[in-house]
Amino acid sequence: MGPIQRLRKDLFANPLDGLVSVLLLSGLAVAGYRLLHWALTQARWAVIQANSTLLAVGRYPIEQQWRLWLLVALVAAASGLSWGVLRGLPVRDRPKTTLWPSNDRLAAILLVFLASWTPALLGLTLAIQARWWTLTALVLLMRWLAGRYAGRFAKPAALAMPLLWPLLYLLGMVLIGGGLGLVTVGANEWGGLLLTLVEASFAILLSFPLGVLLALGRRSSLPMLRWGSIVYIEFIRGAPLITLLFLGQNILGFLLPGGLAPDRVWRAAWILTFFSAAYLAEAVRSGLAAVPRGQLEAARSLGLSLPQALGRVVLPQALRVALPATVGQFISLLQDTTLLSLIGLLDLLGTARSVMANPLYLGKSAEVYLTLAVLFWCCCAALGLGSRALERRLSPPSLSR
Amino acid sequence: MPSELMNPLSPAMIEARGVEKWYPNGFHALRGVDLTVQRGEVVVIMGPSGSGKSTFIRTFNALEEFQKGSITVDGIALSDDLRKIDAIRREVGMVFQQFNLFPHLSVLDNLTLAPVMVRKRRKDEVLQQAMALLERVGIAEQAHKFPGQLSGGQQQRVAIARSLCMEPRILLFDEPTSSLDPEMVREVLEVMQGLAADGMTMVVVTHEVGFARQVADRVVLMADGLVVEEGAPQRFFDHPQHERSRQFLAQIL
Ligand SMILES: Nc1ncnc2c1ncn2[C@@H]1O[C@H](COP(=O)(O)OP(=O)(O)O)[C@@H](O)[C@H]1O
Ligand SMILES: [Mg+2]
Repeated sequence: MGPIQRLRKDLFANPLDGLVSVLLLSGLAVAGYRLLHWALTQARWAVIQANSTLLAVGRYPIEQQWRLWLLVALVAAASGLSWGVLRGLPVRDRPKTTLWPSNDRLAAILLVFLASWTPALLGLTLAIQARWWTLTALVLLMRWLAGRYAGRFAKPAALAMPLLWPLLYLLGMVLIGGGLGLVTVGANEWGGLLLTLVEASFAILLSFPLGVLLALGRRSSLPMLRWGSIVYIEFIRGAPLITLLFLGQNILGFLLPGGLAPDRVWRAAWILTFFSAAYLAEAVRSGLAAVPRGQLEAARSLGLSLPQALGRVVLPQALRVALPATVGQFISLLQDTTLLSLIGLLDLLGTARSVMANPLYLGKSAEVYLTLAVLFWCCCAALGLGSRALERRLSPPSLSR
Repeated sequence: MPSELMNPLSPAMIEARGVEKWYPNGFHALRGVDLTVQRGEVVVIMGPSGSGKSTFIRTFNALEEFQKGSITVDGIALSDDLRKIDAIRREVGMVFQQFNLFPHLSVLDNLTLAPVMVRKRRKDEVLQQAMALLERVGIAEQAHKFPGQLSGGQQQRVAIARSLCMEPRILLFDEPTSSLDPEMVREVLEVMQGLAADGMTMVVVTHEVGFARQVADRVVLMADGLVVEEGAPQRFFDHPQHERSRQFLAQIL
């Protein structure tokens, strides 16, 4: 079916469908036109241009910012690699995928298109513009390399891929915070998008294993473990995050002896982690419930120990089922980081609010909020796309497909 | 297995004495069951649905606990000792009504998983054996497919091969053909018949009378958590001794 026929079938199958489609499409067109008109003629983007560094990294020392650029380059390379492996590699026993499926070709073109004019539109200097072009080229190059050559190294690639992001994360923390010979840049100097991403990624990486353990604990046959998990999960899920954040800022200081209590940034990161773990536990639990009992029994009857049976038979299936809910939780976690501005941290929203409080930019909040929305949207879209590619890769082939 | 673990006084492969089981909800599912299975023997267990057949054979590899009585498998007494349970599970294979293949692993990986992880054998050596077993159950050409791509009969044959790959001394079957379409029942029964001919000790819960007559050394009838009657297939089917057996046979024959 060609794209035109598909559109006709999807949107204009019968008169009522057609009417609804026409109304919705024209509504969308009007809204889109107005927004574009506003963005291009009325909006004053000087507020973003003047504060782009502040919004991106807060008060991170200028002479150390090369470290962040290096990190961005590494992330770009890793993203390209993951993209290539998830989409470009053939899955065994399934029809060979092409190196560039049509969606990917479209995504690549869109990426090049955006990279070629957005930096200029934002009024960045030529040197910075060139960096963004290089980064885009790096993503696409790694995407191509991974798709083209990873097949030959399928075994090591399969082993290395799950380790890539955690390792990159550790390296990133060193680059951001210092150590190993780099000058220390304290957490109180991080801000803007940098702080938002550090908090969110820390909580995502740590809450995942914690959530899996809690979900297993909740189904355990040991009463202490089971009740402990239930109480924890239900307590956290029963309290709004903002109260936990305030509580944590105050209580962690009392609970832990002086010096051990982490500073405010890390305190918040831990609270986000503990919060998110409870929700992830529920997502994983629904995945565990979807795995038939017989799977564990078959594994145990073959002599696998409980950890072996869980790790090799039950969890791979459960996590595959729980993947969409898990990523949904990650996405809401990313958005929940905006609450950090309420406890006085200068995350993306906190920085934006301090910018808007400047009399110089009075009445420019629409521009700032729109920028924030687009930034968040891009991060969430990346998470969503990654999860769908992963999901497709992990689902075993069956007769019905 | 170290020979000191074997009980020289009990040459039987499975020895169950007065086994009683209550489910956590208080239901008395096994009410004192005795059964002895000799080495190389094929025992078929029959009985109405809900009579405790599954519960009983699942106690042999500790998938179900029991509260009273004793069970000895290949000389090892089943107790709470987890190491003994692991040892027994390595020697006892089980084939389920629902196949229970691992859907996220290829057929070959289904076979090699346990030998590599549990017996710590080398992967390439296990792979050879796995291919030979798939050959034996007649599905070598499906080795690289996934369980979801196979028919029910093929899946059950893979499940049998998977159990065999652990080189068990006993195979337990819990209604292995009950969820198969009729035309696939035969291919599975033929594989099982071949195993019996090779001297495998087997305990089979099934309603396949033809299989029981041809292959079984002994048929056991269970009802309401008790063994009602046991005997050689000819005697059992042609001259049942108990009223309960006659009722049951009247229903299935
Ligand atoms: N987990 C359980 N909890 C309570 N009762 C159970 C449970 N499993 C099985 N039963 C009951 O135990 C009896 C025997 O079950 P089962 O061994 O599966 O019978 P069969 O395999 O002969 O059909 C049935 O009445 C069943 O309802
Ligand atoms: Mg049963």
